[in-house]
Amino acid sequence: MKRKISYLLLVFLLLSACSQASTSERDWTKPSWDEITSEAEGTEVRLYMWGGDEGINQYIDEWVTPRMKENHGLTLERVPMDTPEILQKLQTEKQAGKQEGTIDLIWINGENFKNAKENGLLMGSFTHTLPNFTDYYDTNSPAFQTDFGTAVDGMEAPWGKVQFVFHYDSDKIEDPPASFEELHAWIHNNPGKFTYPRAEDFTGNAFLRHILYAQAGEPEDIYGQPLEEERIAETAQHTWTYLNDITGDLWRSGEHYPNSLTELDRLYSQGEVWMTMGYNESRAESLIEEGVFPESTRSFVMEPGSIGNTHFLSIPFNSQNRPGALTAINEMLSPEAQLAKFKPKYWGENTPISFEKLSEEMRKQFKTVERGKSVLPPEKLEKSFLPESEAAYVELMREQWFNEVVQK
Amino acid sequence: MKLFRNKILLLPAFVFLALPFYGFMTAIVQSLGNEEPLSHYWDLLDSDRFLASIAFSIRTAGIATILSIAIGLLLIRSFYKILVQLSPRLRVWIPMLFPHFVWGYMVILLLGESGIFSQIAVVSGWMESQADFPIWTRDRYGIGIIITYVWKEVPLVILLLLPVYSSIRPEYYALVDTLGGNGWNRFTTVELPHLLPVLVESFLIIFSFSLTAYEVPALIGTTFPEMISVLGYEWFYGSSWDDRPLAFASMVSISIFLLILTIIGYTFLNRTRLKAMRGGK
Repeated sequence: MKRKISYLLLVFLLLSACSQASTSERDWTKPSWDEITSEAEGTEVRLYMWGGDEGINQYIDEWVTPRMKENHGLTLERVPMDTPEILQKLQTEKQAGKQEGTIDLIWINGENFKNAKENGLLMGSFTHTLPNFTDYYDTNSPAFQTDFGTAVDGMEAPWGKVQFVFHYDSDKIEDPPASFEELHAWIHNNPGKFTYPRAEDFTGNAFLRHILYAQAGEPEDIYGQPLEEERIAETAQHTWTYLNDITGDLWRSGEHYPNSLTELDRLYSQGEVWMTMGYNESRAESLIEEGVFPESTRSFVMEPGSIGNTHFLSIPFNSQNRPGALTAINEMLSPEAQLAKFKPKYWGENTPISFEKLSEEMRKQFKTVERGKSVLPPEKLEKSFLPESEAAYVELMREQWFNEVVQK
Repeated sequence: MKLFRNKILLLPAFVFLALPFYGFMTAIVQSLGNEEPLSHYWDLLDSDRFLASIAFSIRTAGIATILSIAIGLLLIRSFYKILVQLSPRLRVWIPMLFPHFVWGYMVILLLGESGIFSQIAVVSGWMESQADFPIWTRDRYGIGIIITYVWKEVPLVILLLLPVYSSIRPEYYALVDTLGGNGWNRFTTVELPHLLPVLVESFLIIFSFSLTAYEVPALIGTTFPEMISVLGYEWFYGSSWDDRPLAFASMVSISIFLLILTIIGYTFLNRTRLKAMRGGK
């Protein structure tokens, strides 16, 4: 008898475990949007994202979180973590067969997206269910179709857009270089006043890819085509020649490259170098306000152009709160949320939204935002915009830079 | 050994060791190639970057460890009488309160090219400009890393050696003195035999730590040569996940190297101990 009862209990447990799994594995892209939002009400969404920028953190904590609570009764919990570590955590959960994950929402793009997609760490295609995405964004835009050459397939929703710019101190430099050849000459004329972060760093790698673009016949030869090492061998060779040529006149004669952008920024703020750079056209504004960068900091872009990219929000394969995550993403893509993000108060970042799809009133509000003196006018940025290349180029630069430049 | 016969007594140690042991086993599994099991290890031996890094790491960690132990020993010998009192002892231990990366930042603030020491040197007229200040952090010789580790580990050496010193009975010194020995004889015949086990242990602890710890070299190491921990991190978290087996292979190799070093150390200690028990020497 005792035995029978324990068997029964076991069967019951197994059954309940099954039904549990099927609710969390329900396909949440099928039900109507109303059903999704009502399911999301009163739940908690855990957003894991890189937390290294105070402005961005404040935007989430002081603007997005209260709004979620108010509009949808959603509690948004922000957990700061570096993206590769988030993916590692997901990978570990996947290996352990853990279907009830701890992460509902992640901020991602580029190689991280590629790694996550290839290793099956994402929920799947969902962007077509988001009303704000289909209403206000150009869903067919190439910028949202591919992410560093990886097909997006609706697995991540565009949240923001940034463009690479260089910063300089206008008190020390009158006319910043207008092309990479001029930069080459400038470095030789001002030895020790320029350097770039190492190739492992996100920003440093982007700097190297700019040189690669500049050394190609047309930048499109790089971003327009998948990586074939033989085809670009000559361009790559020119790139290493360019870099080896400036090495002697870099800060500390190129014996040490800043390990991160933070280190380069520190050198710039102490006046050891006269230029810095970054993957966000307006990032100098908050740094000037905090007194880290001198007031006279301005930005510039060079010929043949500056690389920009889109960054996205996505949902992990084992999110426990998919309706909540979908609702949160939809809210973060809304024109109001994008406008608040666009204003320099918190983040000051560009928006991937399509202005022509906005209401007259909304468009006007976007137009009147004053982005600050250190930010280039939108026309200038748009004219110099270059799309991102395939993620494989990032890897190529990272590996070869060490062999071709550092160990030389 | 009675201790091991009663298996329950081993349980706490086992529970404690199970997790790292499991981690190590998983690392070994992940470091093996699909077709040829040891392929990633051969790749390591082919990689100039790895070999340069391992040479630099062993050299840097070795210098830091030997310097820490030598300075610690010297301090304890010179200031033993003061250090037995509580408050000077606590003062010596202050650096141990800080995490390594905090100490690393301190070293950058003090010894960096635009750091406090270079500012003092310029203001006092000793140097003309900050550019004359030698490069001690993020340098290619690992000076910054060594300085940070020595600064941090000397108090640890003192912590480990002090109890041994206070356990040496003064009669031994009296014996050396009556037999006409000098200071050097005191050290070699009385102190060294007492200290040897702790010295070997301290060496192993500090060397293993400074060889594999990440934060200090990441902070004040330079682009090339790099410490093995930085390279391992780079391989593990680098943009593509293809290099991950290499990261595991290098970590496993280092763990095995340290394990062998520890076994050698303990065999050596046991031999000396046996010899001492038999009355040899």
